Amino acid sequence: MATNKPSRQNSDIVNKMDQQLETKNCAAASKNNSGALDPEPPTIPKRRQELLKWNGWGYKDSKFFVNKDGHVEFTGERYRISGSTMPAMREWMIKTIGVSLDHKAPAQPDICAANIPLPIKNDGFLSELRKTSISHSDDCQDRLFRAHGHTLHEIFLLREGKFERIPDIVVWPVCHDEVVKIVQLACKHNVVIIPFGGGTSVSNALECPMEEKRMIVSLDTSQMNRILWVDEKNMTMRAECGIIGQDLERKLAERGLCTGHEPDSMEFSSLGGWVATRASGMKKNIYGNIEDLLVHVKMVTPRGVMEKNCQVPRMSSGLDIHHFILGSEGTLGVVSEVTLKVRPLPQCKKYGSIVFPDFECGVNCMREVAKQRCAPASIRLMDNEQFQFGHALKVESNSILANFMDGLKKLYITKLKGFDPMKMAVATLLFEGTKEEVAALEKRVYEIAAKFRGIPGGADNGERGYMLTFVIAYIRDIGFDYYVVAESFETSVPWDRCLDLCQNVKERLHRECKDNNIQFPPYVTCRVTQTYDAGACIYFYFAFNYRGISNPVSLYEHIESCAREEILANGGSISHHHGVGKIRKRWLRKTVGDIGLGAMQSVKQYIDPNNIFGNNNLMMGHNLSDGATPAQEPSNVMLPSKL
Amino acid sequence: MAEQSRNSWISKDDPKLVSARQKDMFEDILEDRRHSSDLRYSLKTRDVTMFKLNKPRAPMQIKEHVMKSDRVNFAIDQTCMDTKLPREEVVAEALSILDEMAHNLRTGAVRGFAFFLIKVMKSLYRRIYVNVDGIQKIRGLIKEYPILLMPSHRSYMDFLLMSYVFYNYDLPLPVIAAAMDFMGMKFFGWLLRNSGAFYIRRSFGDDHLYWAIFTEYVQCQICNGDNPIEFYVEGTRSRTAKSYTPKFGMLSAALEPYFKSHIPDIMVVPVSISYDRILEESLYAYELLGVPKPKESTSGLLKARKILEEDFGNIHIFFGQPISIRKYSEGFVDRSLHNLAPRYIASLTNQEQDLIKKLGHHMVLTQQKHMVVSPWSLMASVLMQSQGGVSLRQLAKEVEWVKRQASNLGAYCDWPASESAESVLRANLKLHQNIVRVSQEDVVELVRVAPPVHAKATDALMITAGQHLMLSLYRNHILHVFVRPAMIAISVNTCNEERLSIDDLFTKYTFLEKLLCKDFVFIPENTKADFDLALLTLTHTCGVVMEDNQVIIAKSTNKHTTFYSHLFEPFLLGYWILCQYLLSNHPNVAGKPLAKTQKNLVKEAQMLTARLLQEGVVKHYEMLSLDMMSNGLHALFAMGGVSKERRDGVVYMYPNTRQLSTITDQLAKFVDVPPLPSVSINLHSKMITVNAKL
Repeated sequence: MATNKPSRQNSDIVNKMDQQLETKNCAAASKNNSGALDPEPPTIPKRRQELLKWNGWGYKDSKFFVNKDGHVEFTGERYRISGSTMPAMREWMIKTIGVSLDHKAPAQPDICAANIPLPIKNDGFLSELRKTSISHSDDCQDRLFRAHGHTLHEIFLLREGKFERIPDIVVWPVCHDEVVKIVQLACKHNVVIIPFGGGTSVSNALECPMEEKRMIVSLDTSQMNRILWVDEKNMTMRAECGIIGQDLERKLAERGLCTGHEPDSMEFSSLGGWVATRASGMKKNIYGNIEDLLVHVKMVTPRGVMEKNCQVPRMSSGLDIHHFILGSEGTLGVVSEVTLKVRPLPQCKKYGSIVFPDFECGVNCMREVAKQRCAPASIRLMDNEQFQFGHALKVESNSILANFMDGLKKLYITKLKGFDPMKMAVATLLFEGTKEEVAALEKRVYEIAAKFRGIPGGADNGERGYMLTFVIAYIRDIGFDYYVVAESFETSVPWDRCLDLCQNVKERLHRECKDNNIQFPPYVTCRVTQTYDAGACIYFYFAFNYRGISNPVSLYEHIESCAREEILANGGSISHHHGVGKIRKRWLRKTVGDIGLGAMQSVKQYIDPNNIFGNNNLMMGHNLSDGATPAQEPSNVMLPSKL
Repeated sequence: MAEQSRNSWISKDDPKLVSARQKDMFEDILEDRRHSSDLRYSLKTRDVTMFKLNKPRAPMQIKEHVMKSDRVNFAIDQTCMDTKLPREEVVAEALSILDEMAHNLRTGAVRGFAFFLIKVMKSLYRRIYVNVDGIQKIRGLIKEYPILLMPSHRSYMDFLLMSYVFYNYDLPLPVIAAAMDFMGMKFFGWLLRNSGAFYIRRSFGDDHLYWAIFTEYVQCQICNGDNPIEFYVEGTRSRTAKSYTPKFGMLSAALEPYFKSHIPDIMVVPVSISYDRILEESLYAYELLGVPKPKESTSGLLKARKILEEDFGNIHIFFGQPISIRKYSEGFVDRSLHNLAPRYIASLTNQEQDLIKKLGHHMVLTQQKHMVVSPWSLMASVLMQSQGGVSLRQLAKEVEWVKRQASNLGAYCDWPASESAESVLRANLKLHQNIVRVSQEDVVELVRVAPPVHAKATDALMITAGQHLMLSLYRNHILHVFVRPAMIAISVNTCNEERLSIDDLFTKYTFLEKLLCKDFVFIPENTKADFDLALLTLTHTCGVVMEDNQVIIAKSTNKHTTFYSHLFEPFLLGYWILCQYLLSNHPNVAGKPLAKTQKNLVKEAQMLTARLLQEGVVKHYEMLSLDMMSNGLHALFAMGGVSKERRDGVVYMYPNTRQLSTITDQLAKFVDVPPLPSVSINLHSKMITVNAKL
């Protein structure tokens, strides 16, 4: 993962690849069932639960657990930390969030078929569907898997509860035309479609509306995972919507290319999902966010297929229909095919880190870097709490030299530089480009950092910082086992309010925990994950130990909504890249105003008058009149009387 | 001690042996100082808790921050554009404003100050009581939130006391928004500045630069939580010992950082400081009569040394429940409305201004609620109503009755339980021997008060009035307890019908509230709730009888209603005379009465009152108070009876004859008005005709 070797493809390989892609392209064009022609099986199988955890994050073989010595260890062999123990982790868990290893909250072994709602069947739709060759299933575990994303609430339902409403059938189209067919059938028989890509949503976007009485079809795009073509003249590529991030990058890398779009969920999230949620990638400073990468997109809607007639870098043609699609969150149609820009693989990839005496210096430095527009591919600033967490995740090292060097480094920073380990903040950096570019940029960034009392902290710290991002989703599952609820949320904010927002939101979380009688100190941490000309993206983690509390999930949700109120009051936004889904609907009207919301609803009204894409995300399902009353926030949770 | 105890567990079983060091929630902080070295005290190590987000900095750095701030630079640019002055000049002006304003809080000066203060305190006062749990709350909060201290303001001592208490309890010393008056004092002005006072001009209406510097100076200290910030929501010392209506400028500036989300919260702490005897009592009385207060000067202060030999009794300082501005504004204020402009441009939304108004009033009412009512206040309220003198026995009886009523209405009376009523009264009479004395026949009567040297008042009327006003200060101290029930009592007492419907009663109540709203503090738009509560109180404790939503007048007129009515009679009568005076201003050629400055109107109304007093038409000398007249004038303005106009920056006022007549007629229904003789009054060789027929 560290310094990537410069692209080693020789022309032979490129040619071979070209041919391969050609064949595939034809396959798609001839509308065959392409599965047979695809040399490799899909990374994500139709029965996802065979590969992925049914009630937690990621691969079944990868998880944290407390081993026989009482240390935290990570299983499997997929990741760099797989098979390693993190000796400092136990101590951190006990000290920081009051975990007790003696108190476990085990998850239920499964949700048995008896607890899964019976499917609602629309016979007309089913019989016509059967006449096509489209793969489908009404197996209860298949349906259950597509009933949720990864919010705290959903995972808790899987672990300790059951679902009231789940999709009634799952369909797996393999190409655009099959999607068109499904949408046509759905319109004909008034059946609801909820598109499902990687299933990594954290906004309750996949939740089936409880009151929906029509049959719900989960349209799983995972089998539409081909790259259709690569155009090196224009440096673009077209792929089907279901391809997941890591496959896309791996296949493009074989040709010495990349899209550079790397959201933290890239192992599982899909291309179509990125477009539908306005995703953001960690390396957006070089490659751009999804809206910058997008050259063309095809969306199948109840009215027909919506797309532009050319693939141009920019055009002035009235309202941009791409921006109707970006962030539509499955309320208008299914994205079926996408053309993105591609870039040559960077010659050189280098991690780095900067240690700051405190968070404020760090933010000021980030601001300066943004001002000078010299941000590397990624620059992130972790606050002290996250920095310490990162340290707790250090894997056991047997190298005496490494340990010795660590000790020296620590001595230098704390003793010679006088940094307080309880205040320090760390920026992690990822440079990409040619060797010269990287060297020049590195020099410039470290020079700026020096002005803000930042000192280089080595590549190791940087790399561990990025690893933490991928690992944290797995960590939540072990937290659940020990009475800890945790979740992340994010926002974007203008530069001048950045520090105040971080401080006030943290303060608000701490205070709400106290006011709600949470017995243990919560873990609250934030990082600045993206820089822009006019502001930054801020990412919060919030966890608390809920021993002694009877309603941890609703309490968590209440506190998170307090935090969101605080964010909005501090000039922050409803979301930077997670989207609105259902969880943040109540703030959408305030965010875009009555006219803005009305305009969105009118678009929905035209494109999907019968609410076929009825997942009820955003405020699309609502009719205009009943939206007039301001969204009611559930008022403060009433504490049960002590009497 | 041991032999007198029946139980070895009890060390003092005679209540007389228990000192008053601890009393209810209060503890005396002077006692320990009387038995230990002041020097050591002033040099003690102070382990001070600081705000957790604080970055320590010196007063100089605060100044630097202010000059570098976006807000001040924005204001400087604006000023350059408006005045066409070169930037350096404007910057220089900004610097001089800042130098004039900034405090220079230094530990060294503070210690010196503490040494000096403790000497003064010990000599002036018997005990200084502080509610310790209030201090504990502040100690807990200081770490978590920036703190605003809002003490009541009835004496110069307030400022010194607060700093002294904070020094005593090892809390960070407050910085205090002080008026410019002190600054002129040579040594003392310097000392105060070095002990944390910063000076603000009383009015700087349109001076944007000044406003920007002031705001930034205050706000940056709140955001960094350098020190608790102390200011007086009443704006200035109350000369009447009643609370003044709140002012909002400083409060707005102090709360803006929360509304603009610079900080998570601000804690506002109401502090009530009650004096047994106010240091400035005679100065106040003569100032109210129109004798200007002497300019603050160090030599004046030194001359005042002889007061050090006098006894000023006890002080009670009550720190109220801190109010979290976040909780207080939850649901009323949408902070995100500030998202669309940079935060250095001063702005508050209407929601926020309303909230600040409400909070300001709330703070004053909270201060009032926690005031400690001394026996002397109770005595003064009786004495004011029996000017001819009253026997000690009768006084004791009446005071006992008033005390019970005040307690029922929620006042905390500082009445020593272990002493007889008579000895309590005698002790208080002794404390206030400059105002009252007990004659050989045990009759309590007023003594002639020598006017202060600077007053040069020789007029007998003025001297009597001074005496009455001094006494009225102490009665005023408890008026807030009675004002709401009294407005009902007055309406009931003056009703000529047999029954009074609750709606009519409310209408009357509303009228009185509008009239009295400058002399007393009412939360705006809370009239109905206040009314309901007051009526409920009266029916439950004071024998007001309700049937079918009507008050039965005959049954409800009793000692309570009479006493309450009498308490407020001087105010209503005073306003009435003011109205009469205003109505006597005949329209001139332009069809409206001659506009005069507020000062002149008030002064001339006072002269009319003086005349009426001399002629024996009316007898409340306190109606000579310019403060009362000016409050009345403002109330009349708010009710539409008087109009304002601005000429060359000076505000002139003139009566609107028609509205004012209506108001006057209504007012006359609430108070026994004397028949005004058709007289011509010669004031300043100006003829003012008072016509009884009006």
